[in-house]
Amino acid sequence: MTTLTQRPASAPTEDTTDDGTRGAWLLVAQREIVTRAMNKAFAIGLVVSLVVIAALAAFFTWQSSRVDTYTVAVAGGDATAVASVTAAAELAQTEDAGTALELLEVADDDAARSALSGGEADVWLHPGDDGWVLAGEGHPDGTVSRLLGTAVEQQVLEANAEAAGTSVAELSAGAELTTEALDPEAMGEQALFFAGFALSFLFFAGAITSGSMIASSVVEEKQSRLVEIIATAVPLRQLLAGKILGSSVIAVGQNLLFAGVGLAAVAASPISIALPALSTSLIWFVVFFAVGFLALAALYAVAGALASRAEDLQYTSTPMTMLVMGVYFVTFTASGTFLTVLSYIPVANVVAMPVRILSGDVTWWEPVLSLAGLALFAVLALLVSERAFRGALMQTGGRISWRQALRAEA
Amino acid sequence: MTTLEVHDLTRTFGDRRAVDAVSFTAPGGMLTGFVGSNGAGKTTTMRMMMGVLAITSGEVRFGGAPVTRADRRSFGYMPEERGLYPKQPAIDQLVYLARLRGIPAATARTEAMEHLDRLGLAERAKDHVEKLSLGNQQRVQITAALMGRPRALILDEPFSGLDPAAVDGMVDLLREHTARGVPVLFSSHQLDLVERLCERLVILRTGQVVADGTPTELQQAATLRHRLVLAADAGWVRGVPGVHAVDVDGPTALLELADEATAQRLLATALERGQVRELSPVRPSLAQIYREVTA
Repeated sequence: MTTLTQRPASAPTEDTTDDGTRGAWLLVAQREIVTRAMNKAFAIGLVVSLVVIAALAAFFTWQSSRVDTYTVAVAGGDATAVASVTAAAELAQTEDAGTALELLEVADDDAARSALSGGEADVWLHPGDDGWVLAGEGHPDGTVSRLLGTAVEQQVLEANAEAAGTSVAELSAGAELTTEALDPEAMGEQALFFAGFALSFLFFAGAITSGSMIASSVVEEKQSRLVEIIATAVPLRQLLAGKILGSSVIAVGQNLLFAGVGLAAVAASPISIALPALSTSLIWFVVFFAVGFLALAALYAVAGALASRAEDLQYTSTPMTMLVMGVYFVTFTASGTFLTVLSYIPVANVVAMPVRILSGDVTWWEPVLSLAGLALFAVLALLVSERAFRGALMQTGGRISWRQALRAEA
Repeated sequence: MTTLEVHDLTRTFGDRRAVDAVSFTAPGGMLTGFVGSNGAGKTTTMRMMMGVLAITSGEVRFGGAPVTRADRRSFGYMPEERGLYPKQPAIDQLVYLARLRGIPAATARTEAMEHLDRLGLAERAKDHVEKLSLGNQQRVQITAALMGRPRALILDEPFSGLDPAAVDGMVDLLREHTARGVPVLFSSHQLDLVERLCERLVILRTGQVVADGTPTELQQAATLRHRLVLAADAGWVRGVPGVHAVDVDGPTALLELADEATAQRLLATALERGQVRELSPVRPSLAQIYREVTA
């Protein structure tokens, strides 16, 4: 039996013997999750985020599958013009560029002009003094000019070639450039940038919201002295474990939900070819995030313990907020060697490694090694935080520094 | 009956001794009042007793043995500055706090409902605590300490801010626990309340116990005074050897007498000088004792 005589000052010591308190962390975690899920602000935020993600996905899908139809006026039944419009319309269809062309035959140039000003036609194709003219009320749409330009050029070339006693096919033999993708699933630069942006934002939003929630839940108990009642009932270590677990479940669950909605949107969109690569990357992201958030949650819990009132939180959680924001800004702009370096630095690798995985230039052991590093960091963060948490939680009166908190037990 | 004892309990903050070798006993089955001015060390002592604050030196004993974590887990505790989860229904937090102390959920729920029912709060069990009046919030807080048949109760200012009827209701509840043989230690600023309720009293001054015992013991230990009422002016008593006149007002004098012989001599002298209407010992009130020992 232990006596309490001659124990050096400060934080209460933890008794690790089992006295029926072992499952307490589960109770704490359960309460954290239920309270969070029942919180109106949280629920509304979650629903709004999901709606925004779904709406953005729907907008991009609509945008990319939308077809704009342009009416091309041709006067006096000009054969070359009619043939050009027909050829351009076919080209538009094969290209699937979101543009369709329609022919409108009018009597003469005047009728064509009035069709333009009246809005019945979008552009007017007619021969000019030196070549061809595509007229619009304002400047004609770029895609329409390109399509019609190619078609007119083709028509004129055909005619010129015939006049010269040869054919276009003969003239252009061996001059055609075709494109080929060695890895049809590889991401383009732009897609990678957007993926990086999306992942760093998911990290940022998840870490900041769930992080500050654990901090405020700690200070709520500290400020109301509920923590004194809890501390007499269960070891503080269990309280911390329960809080970290509870907020991690919420943060990871939230990101899983976002990732699921995002993937579903991608699957329904024309870029569904990227689905397998995206899924792999997202699964890694969720795993990295889960491990990384354990560390952040522990640090945020200390931020809560260092504060004495909710007003102190902004100050005590500043280092954590800076860390999360730093990771956000650095990772969403990073590329090349810098990105490779980041993909091994704990917390930044939560975003950087999944982005590299998406780009497809990693060997299997790289994410594993990076994850091991992150796990090591998480363990260290948990150990230090546990000590600081116990040291700070029972000290009242103003803000406490990390140094004071860590020293309290010595 | 289990006794809660404190032996030479000391706590220093830097150079300052907030609690200095405090020893007292809170016997089972009794309400023990813990009084002292602000900063006297009551809260620090109670926090050390509950293990919330580390002990610099000294010992807390329960039932004759050093207190263990398991013992403390079975204690009901109400901290000084306090609150509850503002956005959680009263019933839910009572059940949560009870479950943390190892009370099964179903038992905790039944017991919490019984308590709320007694306090007339049954219909508001599902209301968020922040919607209850401050007095009602405080009743819920005391209830949190009383859940699960605690083996001891340590309550820091449980009655502050309650109206007299609410205090009486709470005292009835506490008496149910002392009837089970449980020691109840509570701190208070309200001396009249302590005098009315407590079987025992511990008075703290700048971290040290200055009085400890039953109210009767304290009254007997306190300097005994006598009231002398004569038919004529009593000013002459100032000159009698062994007599200290605390206050003389016309024919009435409040005196401190050195011993019984002095009393007899004084009475004889008074009778020689004229009529004596009264010479009686005066029992000081606890408030007077308190002022005396904490002065």
